[in-house]
Formats: sequence, C-alpha cells, structure tokens
Amino acid sequence: MQQSFRQSMTWLHTWFGLVLGYVLMVAFFFGALSVFDREIDRWATPHTRFEPRPMPSYDAMLAPIFKQIVPEAHELDEARSRVGTLAPTLPVMNWAAYTTHRDPVLRLFAEFAITNNPNDPDDHVHGTLTIDPRNGTVLPHDQLKIGSEFFYPLHFSLHLEWKQLGYWIVALAALVMMAALVSGVVMHRRILRELFTFRPHKHTRRSVLDLHNLTGVVALPFHFVFALSGLTIFAGIYLPVSETMFKPQAQAHAMAEAKTKGVAFRPAGVAAPLASVDAMVVEAKRRWDARGMPGEVGFLVVNHVGDVNSYVSIYRAGSDRVALVGQAVHFDGPSGRVVHEEPPPSAVAGVNEFLTGLHLQHFKHWLLRWFYVLGGLLGCVCIATGFLFFVEKRKRMHASTGVSGARWVDALAVTAVSGMVLAALSMLVVNRVLPADLAGRADWEKGAFWAAWVLALLHALWRSAPVQQARIAPAWREQCWAVVLLAVSAVLLNWITTGDHLLATLGRAYWPVAGFDLALLVSAGLAAFAALHLRRRERQARAQPLAEPVDEPTTTSAAPEAVRA
Amino acid sequence: MPDAALGALLLSAAVALAVCGMVWLALTMDTHWQQVRVDAAPTRSATVALRLCGSLALFASLLLCLRADHPTMAPLVWVLSITGAAVGVAFALAWRPRWLALLVVWLPAGRSAN
Amino acid sequence: MSALHVTSRVAASLLGGYAFVWGFVTLCIALGLEWGAPYDDARKLAQLLAFLVFLACFCWAFAAASVARVWLVLAGGGALMTGVAWWLPRAPA
Repeated sequence: MQQSFRQSMTWLHTWFGLVLGYVLMVAFFFGALSVFDREIDRWATPHTRFEPRPMPSYDAMLAPIFKQIVPEAHELDEARSRVGTLAPTLPVMNWAAYTTHRDPVLRLFAEFAITNNPNDPDDHVHGTLTIDPRNGTVLPHDQLKIGSEFFYPLHFSLHLEWKQLGYWIVALAALVMMAALVSGVVMHRRILRELFTFRPHKHTRRSVLDLHNLTGVVALPFHFVFALSGLTIFAGIYLPVSETMFKPQAQAHAMAEAKTKGVAFRPAGVAAPLASVDAMVVEAKRRWDARGMPGEVGFLVVNHVGDVNSYVSIYRAGSDRVALVGQAVHFDGPSGRVVHEEPPPSAVAGVNEFLTGLHLQHFKHWLLRWFYVLGGLLGCVCIATGFLFFVEKRKRMHASTGVSGARWVDALAVTAVSGMVLAALSMLVVNRVLPADLAGRADWEKGAFWAAWVLALLHALWRSAPVQQARIAPAWREQCWAVVLLAVSAVLLNWITTGDHLLATLGRAYWPVAGFDLALLVSAGLAAFAALHLRRRERQARAQPLAEPVDEPTTTSAAPEAVRA
Repeated sequence: MPDAALGALLLSAAVALAVCGMVWLALTMDTHWQQVRVDAAPTRSATVALRLCGSLALFASLLLCLRADHPTMAPLVWVLSITGAAVGVAFALAWRPRWLALLVVWLPAGRSAN
Repeated sequence: MSALHVTSRVAASLLGGYAFVWGFVTLCIALGLEWGAPYDDARKLAQLLAFLVFLACFCWAFAAASVARVWLVLAGGGALMTGVAWWLPRAPA
C-alpha cells in the first residue's frame, strides 16, 4: 500500500483512529464510570442509599417475590412479532438472584418459555425485579439505575439494540483499538526513550503528541487487555459457532454436562415442591469453607421451576479474586441433596474466567478499582489528544488552502469529549430535578442525555469556525464552562433534593454518594482549569494564527511524518 | 494488625516502591537527569546503580502486591501501579522536576554540561 | 491511493479478516473435537485466540503490498478453513 510498513501503519492509525475514536471515547469514558456503576445508582436512586448486605433468605423472602415477576413488555412485543400469538401466561423456566458486595438492593430475574416457536424450541423472554432485601419491598420499575442500567450498557452496546448493531460497532472499535496500539508502537520510533517525555510548555502540537504518546504507552497493557477481554466476553455474539456450524456439538455438550452434573437437561412436566433453599445455601457455604474459600452467595439459580427435575445452583461471589462467580454447588430441587460440586475449571475455562472477571471487576479491591478508572481516563486522554493532534497538524494547511476538514473533525472532537461529559451531567441534573413519582421518569432521563448530546454537537458545529483560520475553537472553552456549571449544579441538587450534602455523607462515611459528589466537584475543577488555560491559548492563537510552531532542536523523534493527510 | 490495615500498608508500600522504581529508571536517561539535577548526565556507575535500584524496587513492589492479595489480582495491581507511577513521574518531570531530586541525592555529581 | 483502492483495502481487512477468523475458529474447534477435547474448551480457546488472529490479519491487510493477495489469503484461506471444519466432523471415522 504505502512504501513502508511504518507508513502503512501510520495510515491505519490515523484514519481508523479518527473514525472509530468517537466510539472508543464512549467505551472508555462510560467504561471508567461503570467501575463505580452501583455507586452512581445510589446517587441516582436516593431511596436505595443503604449498606450492601448478603443475599436474604430464599424461603422466607424471595420465594413469594419470584412468583410476582412477569415478562418485560418490550420482550413480549418482540416475541409476538416472532411467533404470532402468545399464551396468556407463559410457564416460568428458571429464577435467578444476583448480588455483589456493592449491591444494597437485590436483582431478581426470571425466564419464561415460549413453546410455540417452530424455529427455536428454547425461545424465551425475561422478567426482572429489584427488591429491598431488608424487608422484601419491590422497588418501582421506573427508577432508572443510571450507572448499571444506562452508563454500563452504553459502553458495550451504545444502546443500539437493533440487530445488536451497537455491539458490533463497539467490537469494531475494540479491534481498531488494538490495531491502533500496535501501529502506534510501530510509528513511535523511540518508545522507551520517550516513555516519560511530556513537554507541556512547548507549542500545542508537540505537547498534545507527547501526552498522546504518554497515555497510550504507559497504559498500553491496560488498553490492550481491556479491548481483548471485552471482545472475548461477547465472543458468542461475534462468532456464533454454537448456534450455527457447531449447533449439534454444542447441544450434545450441554446435555452431557447436565448428565455429569447429575441434573436434568429438560423439565419432566411433573410438578413437585422445592425443598428448603436456605438449607442448601448453608450446605454450599460449608463446602466452600471446607475447600479453604469461605464466601457469600453471589448467584443463585432455580432451574426447571416447580418441576420434579428442578435443581438449584448456588455460585460463590468472587469478591476476593478476579473470577466473577464460581465454585458452584448443585442441589436436587425436591430433595435438597447435593448432586454435584463443581471442580476447579479447566485451563482454558480458567483463562476465560480470568479475562471475564478482570474486565467486569466485581472483586473487592478499592485501589484496583480506582486504578481501573485511571486506566479508563488515560484511554480517554489518549483518544482525545489523538483528535487534537489530527486537527493541530492539519489546520494550518487547511486554513491556507481553504479546506474545512480540520474544522469538522474539531467540532466532532468537542462533541465526543466535552459534549459526552455534558450529556452525562445533564442526565444527572434531570434525575434530581424531576419529581420522584413521575410516570416514564426513566424515559425522560434518557431523553435528556441524548438531547444534551445533540445540543452539544450543534453548539460545537456553530462555534468551531475559527479552526478554519487555524485558531482554537471557542466551543472547547464554552463547553468546559458548561461542565463546571452542570457538575456543581448536580452536587447542589443532590443536597437540595435529598439532604445528603457532602459534609453529611462524609460524616457518616457513606462513600457511594460522598465519593460521587467529590468526583463531580473535581471534574468541575478540572474543567475550570482547562477553560482558563484554553482562554490563554486562544489569545495566543488569535495573535499569530498561521505562524508555524517553532520546532526546537531536540533529541526526540520530531522527524516529520511521512504520510500527509 | 487487622488484615485490612495490613493490606493497606502493603499496598501503600508497593505503590511507593513502584514510584521510586520508575523515578530511578527515568533518571537513567540524560534528558530527564538534566531536568532534576544540575549536572548534565549521571556517571556510568550512577547509571548502573539507578537501573539496579529501579529494577529491584519494581520487583519488590510485585512481591508486596503478591503478599497483599490473591495471586490473580496482585499482578493487575502491580501493572497498574507502574502505569500510575509512570504518569506521575512524567508529570513531575514536566512541572516539578526538583521534587524528584530527593530520590537521587545520594548519587555523586555526574558529568557537567560542556 | 484511489478511493476504490482504499475501499478494497478496508473491505479486505474487515470482511476478509472476519472470514479468515471464522475459518480459524471453526477449524480449531473441529480439530479440537477430533483430538477428543470437550466442545466448550475447544470453543473457548478458539474464541480467545480469534481476536489476536483478527488483529494480525487486520494489520497485515494494510501492510501487504498487493490487495489482491490480501483478498486471496484472507477470504480464500477463510473459506478453505471453514470448508475443512465443516467436512471434518462429517468425514468417515
């Protein structure tokens, strides 16, 4: 393609980085926020601001509540479009409860069988409920958990569910991230020598490139492993071998697994009551303790509900290690006796578990979680500085030739960086402002997110004309000030609407809310600092817009890049 | 000492060692040495000492991480400590290089600038 | 670098790359099953390696001198591997 390997890698890095960088910003930023998704949930749903606790008693509390779960309306609609008419009540297949050491509320799930689908005998729909485990109250459906139900899915699916298009786009972005890292290493001649090089006092193009290289290289293992592990988590979507070419083998394997476990693959169709699940939990915990890994229940599943073939699987919460849940113990439903205790995973399964658990981080390790946030934010800085470098490098040439490419890239960069932050902040502000019992509250909040982002885009497009004269767009500074305004407003609104002001939450060491309020204030501080810095730079650029940056003789790879725009 | 407090102490020490290690490794390079000290470059023996101390500090950091946590988590903590340390050192070199002088005060004066 | 050339190169890297990876994964699973590995292990190992293979194909697609060769190797190789993977479980023992 190009004359040399380095040139072709430069082309790849520049153009794929530019196009997919916008998606990667979303993945990295909301991925970083997802580290503290449950804490954000606490901020957004004030009635859940109490301490996490282990899973409550199944027999006493959960059993009657499970019976209340009904299929989700939108899933029923989709099912009707697949099979036509549905039975008035769908038989329930299984129930599940999932909790981690950070969950004060408990999520309950149910799967309901759709029996009249000729193409897919295992077709099913889902239902879910959230309860307060202190007293069994079912929490209102419409209270959007902004962290775990919005920011978190946004980072892997872009909320583009149609044909799972969002998942595929993020997957492409992840592949491009890995390719950008590889090509970046190829491009960067003195990668070890310049590992610590950051010269903020130099002209913009140099300092931006320094920062891009720094954040890309020092966090390279993080960026690479997160892109790779993200892809392997959803490998079933991207490489659906078990549903296509190897369907018989996958099916045979599942049946053989069930046989090894001593459980039935399908229900018998004969009703039978369930033995005491609480007793099963006690036994499971005893067995984990005996293996030297005492722990709490992380995941509990009742399979083939109400059937004589029913069995209960109890998984240990992996709070002390990287793997998510594991060491399952399976019990026969009607009798309550242990039928199978899972052995340690095979080498391959172990590696898979490790990568999944590494990415999803449900472990209890606050330092490591904060390191994850650092890694995520370094990724954001890497991508953002990539955009800035692209614009800085080309805007003088574009200004002198009358091309407007740099301007549009800059406007899109503003939208992807500060615009994205503004969207998230707007959602939080609206969350505090709307009345608690408003119908469709969740939809209003989501609407606010997208609307704010579109507004940020329009503002950026409007306020980026100076880039065409090789100056700095005021859009950056203005959106920084908007970030300051919204972030501080969010903290104040939390105080006004819930009474949980910073001193109160710090005083009783309620870190989910105190931490998030502090994070909002720090963000406001950084945005203000950036806005003031930008004002100074804008003045400089206004004074000498088309002046070439003075390249001082250095010992670094300041050699002009071989590929032009 | 309760487990949590011991863990916190071990991890603090691990992070501190990671920072020291990265500082020492960074200062084997003339450009960065010049930012921190008056002399133009470290002596040859100082460079060797810096590399040795830097590597040992990073290795010691890994050992402390392994002592503090489950073996699946410790390497993650270690790698990310190094990442954080590298960023910190880069920023310090950019804005407050003299702060790092303390870590090499024990090294002799190197070759002076010509 | 004409627009056609760029489009072809990008398409080869993504579509050809995907075809190659599909072939690689299915062949790995078929071979694994032949050698007596449990299906789940074969699938998980193949899927673990798949994205590294995709990364290599993707980068090579841009580094290679000739687009025609890229198409041949990626799409052709992918088709070949998929064919073998399809045939292997059905071959007489």
